[in-house]
Amino acid sequence: MGKIEWAMWANEQALASGLILLTGGIVGVAGQFAGWQFAAYGVAAGVFVCLLEYPRGRRAKGTSVERTGQYCLTVCVKAFGPITRNYYVRAFLHAALCVPGGFMLATVLGCVCLGIASLIYLLAAIRGEQWLPILPKTETREKPRESIKEPPQNPPPRPPADLRRKRLEDVEGAAYVNPIPVTGSED
Amino acid sequence: MAVSWRSWTANEGAKHIVLWLSANTVLFWKTFTLYCYGPQYYYLYKMLGLGLCLSRASAAVLNLNCCLVLLPMCRAVLAILRGSQKVMSRKARRLLDKSKTFHVACGVAICLFSVVHVSAHLANVYSFSLLYSEEFPSLNIARHKGEVSWCVCFAVPGVTGVLLVFILFLMFTASSHGIRVCSYEIFWYTHNLFVVFYMVLLVHVAGGALKYQTNVEDHPPGCLGSNWTGGSDNVCRAEPHFQAHFPQTWLWVSGPLCLYCAERLYRYVRSCGRVTVESVVKHPCGVVEVRMLKSGFTARPGQYIVLNCPSVSSFECHPFTLTTCPTGTEATFGIHMRVLGDWTERFVELLLSEDSAETETLPVVQRRTYPKFYVDGPFGSSSEDVFNYEVSLCVAGGIGVTPFAGVLRALMGDWQHYKLRRLYFVWVCRELGSFYWFADLLCGLHQKLWQENRPDYLNIQLYLSKTEALQVCVGRQYQALSARLQVGRPRWPELLDDIGKSNKDKRVGVFCCGPKGISKALHQLCNSGRSCGTTFEYNKESFG
Repeated sequence: MGKIEWAMWANEQALASGLILLTGGIVGVAGQFAGWQFAAYGVAAGVFVCLLEYPRGRRAKGTSVERTGQYCLTVCVKAFGPITRNYYVRAFLHAALCVPGGFMLATVLGCVCLGIASLIYLLAAIRGEQWLPILPKTETREKPRESIKEPPQNPPPRPPADLRRKRLEDVEGAAYVNPIPVTGSED
Repeated sequence: MAVSWRSWTANEGAKHIVLWLSANTVLFWKTFTLYCYGPQYYYLYKMLGLGLCLSRASAAVLNLNCCLVLLPMCRAVLAILRGSQKVMSRKARRLLDKSKTFHVACGVAICLFSVVHVSAHLANVYSFSLLYSEEFPSLNIARHKGEVSWCVCFAVPGVTGVLLVFILFLMFTASSHGIRVCSYEIFWYTHNLFVVFYMVLLVHVAGGALKYQTNVEDHPPGCLGSNWTGGSDNVCRAEPHFQAHFPQTWLWVSGPLCLYCAERLYRYVRSCGRVTVESVVKHPCGVVEVRMLKSGFTARPGQYIVLNCPSVSSFECHPFTLTTCPTGTEATFGIHMRVLGDWTERFVELLLSEDSAETETLPVVQRRTYPKFYVDGPFGSSSEDVFNYEVSLCVAGGIGVTPFAGVLRALMGDWQHYKLRRLYFVWVCRELGSFYWFADLLCGLHQKLWQENRPDYLNIQLYLSKTEALQVCVGRQYQALSARLQVGRPRWPELLDDIGKSNKDKRVGVFCCGPKGISKALHQLCNSGRSCGTTFEYNKESFG
């Protein structure tokens, strides 16, 4: 029911996979198991994926929840423009990154998880979603217009003084219409 | 400071968290030392080292948490426990309010210890391969020394383990706060994969990869071989015999799993009963009241029900607090539903759809066809405890007033028989129209209490938080409410001080159902402890 934003979920998955890849890589390198070079690659790829995926994108509809301290990374990721905005690029990038992890047991879990994240990103891209940065709204304070500051220099337009003088003998003839409509206070 | 400590312990206590943490720590430590120093694991430990102890200790903690994680989700059982006042003390009932937090804590523990478990087993796989034991071939998993670690992984525990991690990964990534806010469906559908998780878990532990030595007396570990010619006491009398464990996880997990399945079955059977809609009333500010009838339905004020309407969405279930509970005389029950989101929009559309064909013919018999829907519940919430304090403060924000509406209606029926002696009711809304949802009820109760000579029983305070472009104009029949209406947000410290001064040395139950800002501010104030010796016990309403 309703439109689901797949990119949000893909982002969480990619971040988690980055961490899993990193952990697996650390275990592989620390244990010096066979093929530990793949584990070292896993560490580097894991760190890269975590940094790329940490800043959460803005939701198309509704309020976006930011991750703590993501502003700096948002600015960095935004700087790459269409490369990071487009989810097709991210899907293929993650698919490419995950392949070397599959050659070593310690990093194979990270590989599988990143592959799944890449598939969900592909789905999000097909549905036309895009990464938009969450930036704080800049408050624009409007300068007050000049006329507000200064009092009016001319009195309001009125008929000449002799016309305004009260003429008791001809009350009806002395009536005039105000050129500018005047609203009296209503009870 | 003594007062604030009392307030803190009343609110946070946290004895139960300490209990859970210590259970986990003790279990981890005991299993770790067993595998490190136990004689039956001597040879296995020699082969695998630290990886063995870490993997088994984390597996023990995983057993405990997989067992406990299901219990807070047995909502019908919790509702029954909450209702039985003789069995449960108030402290125990307040524990039940934190059931969702406990579920999350167990879930996080499962994820963390899975990471430890998987890492340790990865190291074990390498050790099985590199340190293949020629002496005791039955201890090995690898078929020969230096066997490629991949192949070791294709045994049953390996394949099921990878599948478990995969499911856990999907469930965990979809459970974050951002996803639940953004699209609840992803969270709900992935979380229902727990069934597959448990099935695969039961198969995973049956693999029997790690074996223990059964004949420790005949072959004490480290004893000397039978071809040792020198005289010594420490000679092996027999060859060591290894056997796989009985899968302990089956014992841990089967109980809660059966309880949960039984409960789901009970809830399904209970919710299959027919629901007839009596009336649908449209209220201002996008709220619709639905009154219904269901045979055999009973509920206490403060409980909530879950609606499922197949014509709107086959699988989605939405919780709504009961604003009218069935009583002895009147069997109807009702909810107030705020239209916010696609499910409620569609549901209300179906409820309110007028047959436009009726305008042509004479409306002799106007038959409304309401959509068919199912009601599951009732389930308990912390608002049921309002009656168990002598003095209660109920703070509602907007539509969060619904649990307290049920409470007020119950008081309208019969206020003398409850332990409650004084109720402070604070309702904060953004628009004036929102107060009309329950204006009649509030005025009616106020009037009744004045006539029965208990004017101090109910203290109503209404706040209108939106201060711009205001035109406050309340009807004359709601004079009691307009006199108690204030513009602007309430000042919580002063409010609590007032209540404290009027109720010295008493225990005041604070119930909040509303936006996070209000509940957080109140929670902090309740913990900080005011003067006058009054203790404020904070109870937060949340749909668990």
